[in-house]
Amino acid sequence: MRDACVVAGGQSKWGYRDATLIELFQEAGKACFEDNPHIKPADIDGILVASACSERLSRQTHLAPMVAEYLGIKTSSVCARVELLCGSGSSAIILAAGMIKSGLSDTIMVIGGEKLFTPQRWETFYSQLGSVDHDWDGAQGLGLPPSLLSIVFQRHAALYGTTEEQLAAISVKNRRNGLNNTKGQFRKEITLQEAMSAKPVAAPLKLYDCCPITDGAAAVILTSGEAAKDFTDKPLVKIIGTAQATESNSISNRGNWTTWNALKTAASRAYSMAGITADDVDVAQTHDCFTISEVIEYEDLGFCEKGEGGIFAEKGLSDFGGKVAVNTDGGLLSCGHPFGGTGIRQAIEIAKQLKGDAVHQVENARYGLTHNFSGAVVAHTILIYGRD
Amino acid sequence: MENQFSNLYSVILDTYPIEGKQLTKIWRFFEYLKEGRLTTTKCIKCGKVSYPPRIICPECLSEKLEWIDLPTKGTVEYFTELKAGVPVGFEKPLIHAYIKLSDSFDILSKIVGIKSVDDIHRGDKVKLKVFDVPPIPAEIGRDKINIDRVYFAFELDN
Ligand SMILES: [Zn+2]
Repeated sequence: MRDACVVAGGQSKWGYRDATLIELFQEAGKACFEDNPHIKPADIDGILVASACSERLSRQTHLAPMVAEYLGIKTSSVCARVELLCGSGSSAIILAAGMIKSGLSDTIMVIGGEKLFTPQRWETFYSQLGSVDHDWDGAQGLGLPPSLLSIVFQRHAALYGTTEEQLAAISVKNRRNGLNNTKGQFRKEITLQEAMSAKPVAAPLKLYDCCPITDGAAAVILTSGEAAKDFTDKPLVKIIGTAQATESNSISNRGNWTTWNALKTAASRAYSMAGITADDVDVAQTHDCFTISEVIEYEDLGFCEKGEGGIFAEKGLSDFGGKVAVNTDGGLLSCGHPFGGTGIRQAIEIAKQLKGDAVHQVENARYGLTHNFSGAVVAHTILIYGRD
Repeated sequence: MENQFSNLYSVILDTYPIEGKQLTKIWRFFEYLKEGRLTTTKCIKCGKVSYPPRIICPECLSEKLEWIDLPTKGTVEYFTELKAGVPVGFEKPLIHAYIKLSDSFDILSKIVGIKSVDDIHRGDKVKLKVFDVPPIPAEIGRDKINIDRVYFAFELDN
Protein backbone atom coordinates (compact mmCIF):
# COMPACT_ATOMS: atom_id res chain seq x y z
CA MET A 1 0.00 0.00 0.00
CA ARG A 2 1.17 3.55 -0.72
CA ASP A 3 2.15 6.04 1.97
CA ALA A 4 0.01 9.10 2.69
CA CYS A 5 2.16 12.17 3.42
CA VAL A 6 1.44 15.71 4.59
CA VAL A 7 3.10 18.10 2.12
CA ALA A 8 1.54 21.48 2.95
CA GLY A 9 -0.45 23.15 5.72
CA GLY A 10 -1.77 26.53 6.68
CA GLN A 11 -4.50 28.26 8.63
CA SER A 12 -6.46 31.50 8.74
CA LYS A 13 -6.16 33.81 11.73
CA TRP A 14 -8.33 32.24 14.46
CA GLY A 15 -10.45 34.15 16.94
CA TYR A 16 -13.45 36.46 16.86
CA ARG A 17 -13.32 37.21 13.16
CA ASP A 18 -14.69 39.83 10.79
CA ALA A 19 -15.18 37.15 8.12
CA THR A 20 -17.78 34.62 6.93
CA LEU A 21 -17.30 30.85 6.74
CA ILE A 22 -16.39 30.84 3.03
CA GLU A 23 -13.95 33.70 3.61
CA LEU A 24 -12.24 31.77 6.42
CA PHE A 25 -11.90 28.80 4.05
CA GLN A 26 -10.36 31.05 1.39
CA GLU A 27 -7.81 32.39 3.88
CA ALA A 28 -6.89 28.88 5.07
CA GLY A 29 -6.61 27.50 1.52
CA LYS A 30 -4.35 30.35 0.45
CA ALA A 31 -2.14 29.90 3.53
CA CYS A 32 -1.88 26.18 2.76
CA PHE A 33 -0.85 26.72 -0.87
CA GLU A 34 1.64 29.41 0.19
CA ASP A 35 3.24 26.95 2.60
CA ASN A 36 4.42 24.88 -0.37
CA PRO A 37 4.76 26.85 -3.62
CA HIS A 38 5.44 23.64 -5.56
CA ILE A 39 1.79 22.61 -5.23
CA LYS A 40 -0.89 24.35 -7.30
CA PRO A 41 -4.67 23.99 -7.21
CA ALA A 42 -4.40 22.00 -10.46
CA ASP A 43 -2.38 19.33 -8.63
CA ILE A 44 -5.32 18.56 -6.31
CA ASP A 45 -7.74 15.81 -7.38
CA GLY A 46 -9.83 15.59 -4.22
CA ILE A 47 -11.17 17.81 -1.45
CA LEU A 48 -12.65 16.88 1.92
CA VAL A 49 -14.24 19.71 3.86
CA ALA A 50 -14.64 19.32 7.63
CA SER A 51 -17.29 21.50 9.18
CA ALA A 52 -19.92 20.77 11.81
CA CYS A 53 -22.07 23.89 11.97
CA SER A 54 -22.32 25.21 8.42
CA GLU A 55 -26.09 24.67 8.18
CA ARG A 56 -26.93 25.96 11.64
CA LEU A 57 -24.68 28.98 11.68
CA SER A 58 -23.97 29.86 8.04
CA ARG A 59 -27.14 28.48 6.37
CA GLN A 60 -24.97 26.52 3.95
CA THR A 61 -25.08 22.89 2.97
CA HIS A 62 -23.33 21.20 -0.01
CA LEU A 63 -20.18 22.90 1.17
CA ALA A 64 -17.35 20.97 -0.53
CA PRO A 65 -17.99 22.00 -4.16
CA MET A 66 -18.31 25.59 -2.99
CA VAL A 67 -14.95 25.58 -1.19
CA ALA A 68 -13.34 23.85 -4.20
CA GLU A 69 -14.66 26.54 -6.54
CA TYR A 70 -13.46 29.41 -4.33
CA LEU A 71 -9.96 27.86 -4.17
CA GLY A 72 -9.74 27.11 -7.88
CA ILE A 73 -9.73 23.35 -7.31
CA LYS A 74 -11.35 21.02 -9.86
CA THR A 75 -11.71 17.60 -8.31
CA SER A 76 -11.85 14.26 -10.07
CA SER A 77 -11.57 11.72 -7.22
CA VAL A 78 -13.54 12.93 -4.17
CA CYS A 79 -15.45 16.06 -3.15
CA ALA A 80 -17.47 15.84 0.08
CA ARG A 81 -18.02 17.21 3.56
CA VAL A 82 -17.09 15.27 6.72
CA GLU A 83 -18.74 15.85 10.10
CA LEU A 84 -17.85 14.58 13.58
CA LEU A 85 -18.17 17.83 15.52
CA CYS A 86 -14.81 18.43 17.27
CA GLY A 87 -13.31 15.41 15.47
CA SER A 88 -14.41 16.50 11.98
CA GLY A 89 -10.96 17.62 10.81
CA SER A 90 -9.15 14.52 12.02
CA SER A 91 -11.86 12.28 10.58
CA ALA A 92 -11.37 13.93 7.20
CA ILE A 93 -7.60 13.34 7.40
CA ILE A 94 -8.18 9.66 8.17
CA LEU A 95 -10.51 9.33 5.18
CA ALA A 96 -8.11 11.21 2.90
CA ALA A 97 -5.23 8.98 4.01
CA GLY A 98 -7.33 5.91 3.20
CA MET A 99 -8.24 7.26 -0.24
CA ILE A 100 -4.58 7.95 -1.03
CA LYS A 101 -3.17 4.72 0.39
CA SER A 102 -5.72 2.68 -1.55
CA GLY A 103 -5.09 4.58 -4.79
CA LEU A 104 -8.62 6.01 -5.11
CA SER A 105 -7.12 9.51 -4.89
CA ASP A 106 -3.66 10.95 -5.48
CA THR A 107 -3.58 14.40 -3.89
CA ILE A 108 -6.28 15.68 -1.51
CA MET A 109 -6.80 18.98 0.24
CA VAL A 110 -8.37 18.49 3.67
CA ILE A 111 -9.78 21.80 4.81
CA GLY A 112 -11.91 22.44 7.86
CA GLY A 113 -13.31 25.23 9.93
CA GLU A 114 -16.27 26.97 11.49
CA LYS A 115 -17.90 30.34 11.73
CA LEU A 116 -19.18 30.16 15.31
CA PHE A 117 -19.72 33.81 16.20
CA THR A 118 -23.06 34.76 14.70
CA PRO A 119 -24.34 38.35 14.63
CA GLN A 120 -26.17 37.49 17.85
CA ARG A 121 -23.89 35.51 20.11
CA TRP A 122 -26.52 33.58 22.05
CA GLU A 123 -27.14 31.53 18.94
CA THR A 124 -23.78 29.74 19.22
CA PHE A 125 -24.55 28.20 22.62
CA TYR A 126 -28.16 27.51 21.68
CA SER A 127 -27.06 25.64 18.54
CA GLN A 128 -24.85 23.27 20.52
CA LEU A 129 -27.90 21.62 22.07
CA GLY A 130 -27.77 19.48 18.93
CA SER A 131 -24.24 18.27 19.57
CA VAL A 132 -25.30 15.83 22.29
CA ASP A 133 -28.39 13.58 22.03
CA HIS A 134 -30.75 16.50 21.37
CA ASP A 135 -33.95 15.02 22.76
CA TRP A 136 -32.51 13.59 25.98
CA ASP A 137 -29.36 15.49 26.94
CA GLY A 138 -29.75 18.69 24.90
CA ALA A 139 -33.22 19.17 26.38
CA GLN A 140 -31.54 19.23 29.81
CA GLY A 141 -29.41 22.19 28.68
CA LEU A 142 -26.26 20.10 28.18
CA GLY A 143 -24.99 21.48 24.85
CA LEU A 144 -21.40 22.59 25.14
CA PRO A 145 -19.88 20.41 27.80
CA PRO A 146 -18.44 22.54 30.68
CA SER A 147 -20.98 21.09 33.13
CA LEU A 148 -20.14 17.56 32.09
CA LEU A 149 -16.37 18.10 32.37
CA SER A 150 -16.83 19.81 35.73
CA ILE A 151 -18.40 16.59 36.99
CA VAL A 152 -15.65 14.52 35.34
CA PHE A 153 -13.06 16.60 37.24
CA GLN A 154 -14.92 16.27 40.54
CA ARG A 155 -14.92 12.49 40.14
CA HIS A 156 -11.25 12.40 39.07
CA ALA A 157 -10.35 14.54 42.09
CA ALA A 158 -12.30 12.26 44.45
CA LEU A 159 -10.67 9.12 43.01
CA TYR A 160 -7.09 10.28 42.44
CA GLY A 161 -6.62 13.54 44.35
CA THR A 162 -6.22 15.68 41.21
CA THR A 163 -6.19 19.36 42.17
CA GLU A 164 -7.30 22.68 40.70
CA GLU A 165 -3.63 23.80 40.86
CA GLN A 166 -2.67 20.90 38.60
CA LEU A 167 -5.33 21.97 36.10
CA ALA A 168 -4.01 25.54 36.31
CA ALA A 169 -0.51 24.27 35.46
CA ILE A 170 -1.93 23.02 32.15
CA SER A 171 -3.61 26.41 31.46
CA VAL A 172 -0.29 28.16 32.11
CA LYS A 173 1.67 25.74 29.89
CA ASN A 174 -0.78 25.88 26.98
CA ARG A 175 -1.16 29.67 27.16
CA ARG A 176 2.64 29.96 27.07
CA ASN A 177 2.81 27.55 24.12
CA GLY A 178 0.19 29.72 22.39
CA LEU A 179 3.02 32.15 21.63
CA ASN A 180 4.23 29.49 19.15
CA ASN A 181 1.19 29.87 16.87
CA THR A 182 1.12 33.32 15.29
CA LYS A 183 -2.46 32.77 14.08
CA GLY A 184 -3.94 31.48 17.36
CA GLN A 185 -6.73 33.19 19.27
CA PHE A 186 -4.86 33.95 22.51
CA ARG A 187 -1.19 34.88 22.47
CA LYS A 188 -0.51 36.04 26.00
CA GLU A 189 0.98 34.16 28.93
CA ILE A 190 -0.95 33.84 32.16
CA THR A 191 0.29 33.15 35.70
CA LEU A 192 -0.78 30.32 37.96
CA GLN A 193 -2.33 32.96 40.22
CA GLU A 194 -4.43 34.38 37.36
CA ALA A 195 -5.62 30.89 36.43
CA MET A 196 -6.52 30.05 40.03
CA SER A 197 -8.42 33.28 40.69
CA ALA A 198 -10.38 33.38 37.41
CA LYS A 199 -14.17 33.42 37.53
CA PRO A 200 -16.01 30.08 37.48
CA VAL A 201 -17.55 28.75 34.24
CA ALA A 202 -18.88 25.50 35.73
CA ALA A 203 -17.30 25.31 39.20
CA PRO A 204 -14.73 24.09 39.99
CA LEU A 205 -13.76 24.70 36.32
CA LYS A 206 -12.77 28.32 35.78
CA LEU A 207 -12.27 30.60 32.78
CA TYR A 208 -8.76 29.42 31.85
CA ASP A 209 -9.77 25.75 32.19
CA CYS A 210 -12.05 26.12 29.15
CA CYS A 211 -11.27 26.71 25.49
CA PRO A 212 -12.96 29.69 23.84
CA ILE A 213 -15.50 30.03 21.02
CA THR A 214 -13.57 30.53 17.79
CA ASP A 215 -13.97 31.42 14.13
CA GLY A 216 -11.31 29.94 11.89
CA ALA A 217 -10.21 27.42 9.30
CA ALA A 218 -7.14 25.32 8.48
CA ALA A 219 -6.00 23.18 5.56
CA VAL A 220 -3.47 20.48 4.78
CA ILE A 221 -2.57 18.74 1.54
CA LEU A 222 -1.94 14.99 1.55
CA THR A 223 -0.40 13.01 -1.26
CA SER A 224 1.22 9.65 -1.93
CA GLY A 225 4.81 8.97 -0.88
CA GLU A 226 5.92 8.92 -4.50
CA ALA A 227 4.27 12.24 -5.44
CA ALA A 228 5.45 13.83 -2.18
CA LYS A 229 9.06 13.59 -3.38
CA ASP A 230 8.15 15.88 -6.31
CA PHE A 231 6.62 18.44 -3.97
CA THR A 232 9.22 18.64 -1.20
CA ASP A 233 12.86 18.03 -0.32
CA LYS A 234 12.08 17.94 3.42
CA PRO A 235 11.78 14.66 5.37
CA LEU A 236 8.42 13.06 4.48
CA VAL A 237 5.77 13.22 7.20
CA LYS A 238 3.66 10.07 6.88
CA ILE A 239 0.39 9.00 8.46
CA ILE A 240 1.36 5.69 10.04
CA GLY A 241 -1.47 5.00 12.47
CA THR A 242 -5.16 5.92 12.66
CA ALA A 243 -8.04 4.89 14.88
CA GLN A 244 -11.46 6.03 15.92
CA ALA A 245 -13.52 4.55 18.73
CA THR A 246 -16.76 5.57 20.40
CA GLU A 247 -18.68 4.83 23.54
CA SER A 248 -22.25 5.58 24.55
CA ASN A 249 -23.42 8.78 22.92
CA SER A 250 -26.16 9.06 25.52
CA ILE A 251 -24.82 10.52 28.75
CA SER A 252 -26.84 8.13 30.89
CA ASN A 253 -25.13 5.04 29.50
CA ARG A 254 -21.53 5.92 30.36
CA GLY A 255 -20.02 3.39 32.69
CA ASN A 256 -16.79 5.13 33.62
CA TRP A 257 -16.29 8.88 33.55
CA THR A 258 -12.65 9.09 34.61
CA THR A 259 -11.22 6.36 32.37
CA TRP A 260 -12.12 6.97 28.75
CA ASN A 261 -12.29 3.42 27.46
CA ALA A 262 -12.88 4.43 23.84
CA LEU A 263 -9.71 6.51 23.98
CA LYS A 264 -7.77 3.49 25.25
CA THR A 265 -9.25 1.34 22.47
CA ALA A 266 -8.31 3.90 19.81
CA ALA A 267 -4.82 4.43 21.24
CA SER A 268 -4.11 0.72 21.32
CA ARG A 269 -5.13 0.27 17.67
CA ALA A 270 -3.26 3.36 16.45
CA TYR A 271 -0.02 2.43 18.28
CA SER A 272 -0.21 -1.10 17.00
CA MET A 273 -0.74 0.05 13.39
CA ALA A 274 2.18 2.47 13.68
CA GLY A 275 4.38 -0.17 15.31
CA ILE A 276 5.20 2.08 18.25
CA THR A 277 4.26 2.47 21.92
CA ALA A 278 3.26 5.51 23.96
CA ASP A 279 6.89 5.87 25.04
CA ASP A 280 7.94 6.52 21.43
CA VAL A 281 5.71 9.59 21.02
CA ASP A 282 7.89 12.73 21.01
CA VAL A 283 5.19 15.33 20.53
CA ALA A 284 1.39 15.22 20.87
CA GLN A 285 -1.51 17.55 20.25
CA THR A 286 -4.34 16.31 22.45
CA HIS A 287 -7.87 17.61 22.84
CA ASP A 288 -7.50 20.18 25.63
CA CYS A 289 -10.98 21.69 25.29
CA PHE A 290 -10.75 21.61 29.09
CA THR A 291 -7.68 21.22 31.28
CA ILE A 292 -9.14 18.10 32.89
CA SER A 293 -9.43 16.53 29.42
CA GLU A 294 -5.67 16.86 28.92
CA VAL A 295 -5.07 15.18 32.33
CA ILE A 296 -7.15 12.13 31.40
CA GLU A 297 -5.62 12.05 27.91
CA TYR A 298 -2.08 11.73 29.36
CA GLU A 299 -3.33 8.74 31.31
CA ASP A 300 -5.41 6.95 28.71
CA LEU A 301 -2.91 7.57 25.90
CA GLY A 302 -0.36 5.85 28.15
CA PHE A 303 1.98 8.80 28.74
CA CYS A 304 1.66 8.18 32.51
CA GLU A 305 -0.06 5.81 34.93
CA LYS A 306 -3.80 6.04 35.60
CA GLY A 307 -4.54 8.76 38.14
CA GLU A 308 -1.16 10.46 37.73
CA GLY A 309 -2.12 12.92 34.98
CA GLY A 310 -2.30 15.84 37.38
CA ILE A 311 1.16 15.15 38.78
CA PHE A 312 2.49 14.63 35.22
CA ALA A 313 1.44 18.20 34.36
CA GLU A 314 2.61 19.65 37.67
CA LYS A 315 6.11 18.19 37.19
CA GLY A 316 6.38 19.66 33.68
CA LEU A 317 6.57 16.21 32.06
CA SER A 318 4.17 17.32 29.30
CA ASP A 319 6.17 20.47 28.56
CA PHE A 320 9.18 21.02 26.29
CA GLY A 321 12.07 19.04 27.74
CA GLY A 322 9.70 16.66 29.57
CA LYS A 323 8.65 13.11 28.70
CA VAL A 324 6.38 14.12 25.80
CA ALA A 325 5.67 17.70 24.71
CA VAL A 326 1.89 18.12 24.63
CA ASN A 327 0.06 20.92 22.81
CA THR A 328 3.22 22.62 21.63
CA ASP A 329 1.35 25.35 19.73
CA GLY A 330 -1.01 26.14 22.61
CA GLY A 331 -3.74 23.59 21.93
CA LEU A 332 -7.41 24.45 21.95
CA LEU A 333 -6.93 26.51 25.11
CA SER A 334 -4.79 29.08 23.25
CA CYS A 335 -5.45 28.59 19.53
CA GLY A 336 -9.20 28.29 20.02
CA HIS A 337 -11.52 25.61 18.70
CA PRO A 338 -13.37 26.05 15.40
CA PHE A 339 -14.49 22.40 15.50
CA GLY A 340 -13.74 21.27 11.93
CA GLY A 341 -10.45 23.17 11.92
CA THR A 342 -8.94 21.76 15.10
CA GLY A 343 -7.67 18.37 13.93
CA ILE A 344 -6.14 20.03 10.89
CA ARG A 345 -4.38 22.67 13.02
CA GLN A 346 -3.00 19.81 15.10
CA ALA A 347 -1.73 18.05 11.95
CA ILE A 348 0.00 21.25 10.79
CA GLU A 349 1.88 21.62 14.08
CA ILE A 350 2.87 17.93 14.14
CA ALA A 351 4.13 18.12 10.55
CA LYS A 352 6.24 21.18 11.42
CA GLN A 353 7.66 19.43 14.47
CA LEU A 354 8.59 16.31 12.49
CA LYS A 355 10.16 18.33 9.66
CA GLY A 356 12.14 20.43 12.16
CA ASP A 357 10.28 23.62 11.11
CA ALA A 358 8.39 24.42 14.32
CA VAL A 359 8.49 27.83 16.00
CA HIS A 360 9.45 26.07 19.25
CA GLN A 361 11.03 22.80 18.20
CA VAL A 362 10.93 19.49 20.09
CA GLU A 363 14.46 18.30 19.48
CA ASN A 364 14.75 15.51 16.94
CA ALA A 365 11.03 14.67 16.99
CA ARG A 366 10.32 11.50 15.04
CA TYR A 367 6.80 10.43 16.08
CA GLY A 368 3.84 12.75 16.63
CA LEU A 369 0.27 12.06 17.73
CA THR A 370 -2.98 13.98 17.47
CA HIS A 371 -6.13 13.26 19.45
CA ASN A 372 -9.64 14.66 19.49
CA PHE A 373 -12.70 13.76 21.42
CA SER A 374 -16.08 14.89 20.26
CA GLY A 375 -19.55 15.30 21.71
CA ALA A 376 -20.05 14.44 25.36
CA VAL A 377 -16.63 12.68 25.44
CA VAL A 378 -18.11 10.10 23.07
CA ALA A 379 -15.85 9.60 20.04
CA HIS A 380 -12.05 9.54 20.16
CA THR A 381 -10.00 10.08 17.01
CA ILE A 382 -6.25 9.45 16.89
CA LEU A 383 -3.66 9.92 14.17
CA ILE A 384 0.00 9.00 14.44
CA TYR A 385 2.51 10.68 12.17
CA GLY A 386 6.10 9.56 11.59
CA ARG A 387 9.02 10.75 9.53
CA ASP A 388 11.74 8.78 7.80
CA MET B 1 -35.33 49.84 7.76
CA GLU B 2 -38.30 47.64 8.64
CA ASN B 3 -38.38 44.25 6.97
CA GLN B 4 -39.73 40.77 7.57
CA PHE B 5 -36.99 40.02 10.11
CA SER B 6 -37.21 43.26 12.09
CA ASN B 7 -38.65 41.48 15.08
CA LEU B 8 -37.64 37.94 14.27
CA TYR B 9 -34.09 36.68 14.20
CA SER B 10 -33.82 34.20 11.42
CA VAL B 11 -32.75 31.03 13.22
CA ILE B 12 -34.89 28.70 15.32
CA LEU B 13 -33.89 25.47 17.04
CA ASP B 14 -36.46 23.51 19.02
CA THR B 15 -35.03 22.72 22.44
CA TYR B 16 -37.39 19.82 23.17
CA PRO B 17 -38.11 16.49 21.48
CA ILE B 18 -40.67 15.65 18.84
CA GLU B 19 -43.63 14.30 20.83
CA GLY B 20 -47.11 13.05 19.93
CA LYS B 21 -48.14 9.77 18.33
CA GLN B 22 -48.54 11.43 14.91
CA LEU B 23 -44.80 12.16 14.88
CA THR B 24 -42.88 9.59 16.95
CA LYS B 25 -43.09 5.89 17.74
CA ILE B 26 -41.98 6.44 21.35
CA TRP B 27 -44.88 8.78 22.13
CA ARG B 28 -45.83 6.63 25.13
CA PHE B 29 -42.75 7.88 27.01
CA PHE B 30 -44.25 11.37 26.99
CA GLU B 31 -47.77 10.15 27.83
CA TYR B 32 -46.37 8.29 30.86
CA LEU B 33 -44.35 11.37 31.76
CA LYS B 34 -47.61 13.34 31.98
CA GLU B 35 -48.66 10.77 34.64
CA GLY B 36 -45.46 11.42 36.61
CA ARG B 37 -43.79 8.21 35.43
CA LEU B 38 -40.23 7.99 34.05
CA THR B 39 -40.14 5.02 31.71
CA THR B 40 -38.05 3.31 29.09
CA THR B 41 -38.09 0.23 26.89
CA LYS B 42 -37.04 -3.32 27.74
CA CYS B 43 -36.53 -6.10 25.20
CA ILE B 44 -39.02 -8.92 25.75
CA LYS B 45 -36.75 -11.35 23.88
CA CYS B 46 -33.36 -10.78 25.54
CA GLY B 47 -34.16 -8.59 28.55
CA LYS B 48 -31.93 -5.64 27.57
CA VAL B 49 -33.09 -2.37 29.13
CA SER B 50 -32.26 0.63 26.93
CA TYR B 51 -32.35 4.32 27.73
CA PRO B 52 -33.38 6.51 26.00
CA PRO B 53 -36.33 4.39 24.78
CA ARG B 54 -35.96 2.55 21.45
CA ILE B 55 -38.03 0.90 18.80
CA ILE B 56 -35.42 -1.80 18.16
CA CYS B 57 -33.32 -3.65 20.73
CA PRO B 58 -29.64 -2.72 20.12
CA GLU B 59 -28.61 -6.10 21.58
CA CYS B 60 -30.71 -8.55 19.49
CA LEU B 61 -32.55 -6.25 17.02
CA SER B 62 -35.94 -7.49 18.20
CA GLU B 63 -38.89 -5.10 17.80
CA LYS B 64 -40.75 -6.72 20.69
CA LEU B 65 -40.17 -4.19 23.45
CA GLU B 66 -42.16 -3.37 26.58
CA TRP B 67 -42.35 -0.21 28.65
CA ILE B 68 -40.93 -0.37 32.17
CA ASP B 69 -40.80 2.20 34.96
CA LEU B 70 -37.49 3.74 36.05
CA PRO B 71 -37.09 5.11 39.57
CA THR B 72 -38.29 8.70 39.95
CA LYS B 73 -36.26 9.38 43.09
CA GLY B 74 -32.51 9.41 43.49
CA THR B 75 -29.44 10.86 45.17
CA VAL B 76 -27.18 13.70 44.02
CA GLU B 77 -23.60 12.48 43.56
CA TYR B 78 -22.06 15.57 41.94
CA PHE B 79 -23.38 18.90 40.69
CA THR B 80 -22.28 22.14 39.05
CA GLU B 81 -23.76 25.41 37.85
CA LEU B 82 -23.15 26.58 34.28
CA LYS B 83 -22.26 30.26 34.66
CA ALA B 84 -21.29 31.13 31.07
CA GLY B 85 -23.04 30.18 27.85
CA VAL B 86 -26.43 29.23 29.29
CA PRO B 87 -28.50 28.34 26.19
CA VAL B 88 -31.43 30.65 25.48
CA GLY B 89 -34.66 29.14 26.78
CA PHE B 90 -33.03 27.83 29.96
CA GLU B 91 -33.54 29.69 33.23
CA LYS B 92 -30.66 30.71 35.45
CA PRO B 93 -29.32 29.31 37.64
CA LEU B 94 -28.73 26.37 35.24
CA ILE B 95 -27.68 23.63 37.66
CA HIS B 96 -26.86 20.09 36.56
CA ALA B 97 -26.55 17.12 38.87
CA TYR B 98 -25.28 13.62 38.36
CA ILE B 99 -28.02 11.56 40.01
CA LYS B 100 -27.93 7.92 41.02
CA LEU B 101 -31.45 6.65 40.40
CA SER B 102 -30.67 2.98 41.05
CA ASP B 103 -27.64 0.70 41.23
CA SER B 104 -27.63 0.40 37.48
CA PHE B 105 -29.02 3.71 36.29
CA ASP B 106 -27.55 7.20 36.49
CA ILE B 107 -28.79 10.37 34.87
CA LEU B 108 -27.28 13.81 34.36
CA SER B 109 -30.23 16.16 34.78
CA LYS B 110 -31.14 19.76 35.26
CA ILE B 111 -32.18 20.63 38.82
CA VAL B 112 -35.15 23.00 39.03
CA GLY B 113 -36.90 24.77 41.90
CA ILE B 114 -33.84 26.16 43.70
CA LYS B 115 -32.69 29.76 43.66
CA SER B 116 -28.97 29.17 44.07
CA VAL B 117 -26.36 26.46 43.68
CA ASP B 118 -25.76 26.89 47.43
CA ASP B 119 -29.11 25.17 48.01
CA ILE B 120 -27.90 21.78 46.69
CA HIS B 121 -25.40 19.36 48.26
CA ARG B 122 -23.87 15.98 47.53
CA GLY B 123 -26.12 13.31 48.98
CA ASP B 124 -29.32 15.34 48.64
CA LYS B 125 -32.44 13.38 47.70
CA VAL B 126 -34.15 14.46 44.48
CA LYS B 127 -37.35 13.52 42.69
CA LEU B 128 -38.73 13.74 39.15
CA LYS B 129 -40.35 17.03 38.14
CA VAL B 130 -42.51 17.13 35.01
CA PHE B 131 -43.40 20.44 33.38
CA ASP B 132 -45.13 21.76 30.27
CA VAL B 133 -43.01 22.95 27.35
CA PRO B 134 -44.21 24.80 24.21
CA PRO B 135 -46.48 22.70 21.97
CA ILE B 136 -45.56 21.75 18.39
CA PRO B 137 -47.77 23.49 15.83
CA ALA B 138 -47.94 20.54 13.42
CA GLU B 139 -49.45 20.07 9.99
CA ILE B 140 -50.93 16.58 9.93
CA GLY B 141 -52.51 15.93 6.54
CA ARG B 142 -54.84 18.90 6.00
CA ASP B 143 -55.16 19.65 9.72
CA LYS B 144 -53.16 22.11 11.72
CA ILE B 145 -52.99 20.95 15.32
CA ASN B 146 -51.07 21.80 18.45
CA ILE B 147 -49.27 18.81 19.93
CA ASP B 148 -48.99 19.41 23.67
CA ARG B 149 -45.62 18.59 25.15
CA VAL B 150 -44.07 17.93 28.54
CA TYR B 151 -40.47 17.45 29.65
CA PHE B 152 -38.72 16.60 32.88
CA ALA B 153 -35.97 17.54 35.26
CA PHE B 154 -35.37 16.81 38.94
CA GLU B 155 -36.09 18.85 42.08
CA LEU B 156 -35.09 18.53 45.72
CA ASP B 157 -37.20 15.97 47.62
CA ASN B 158 -37.65 17.65 50.99
ZN1 LIG C 1 -33.02 -7.77 22.76
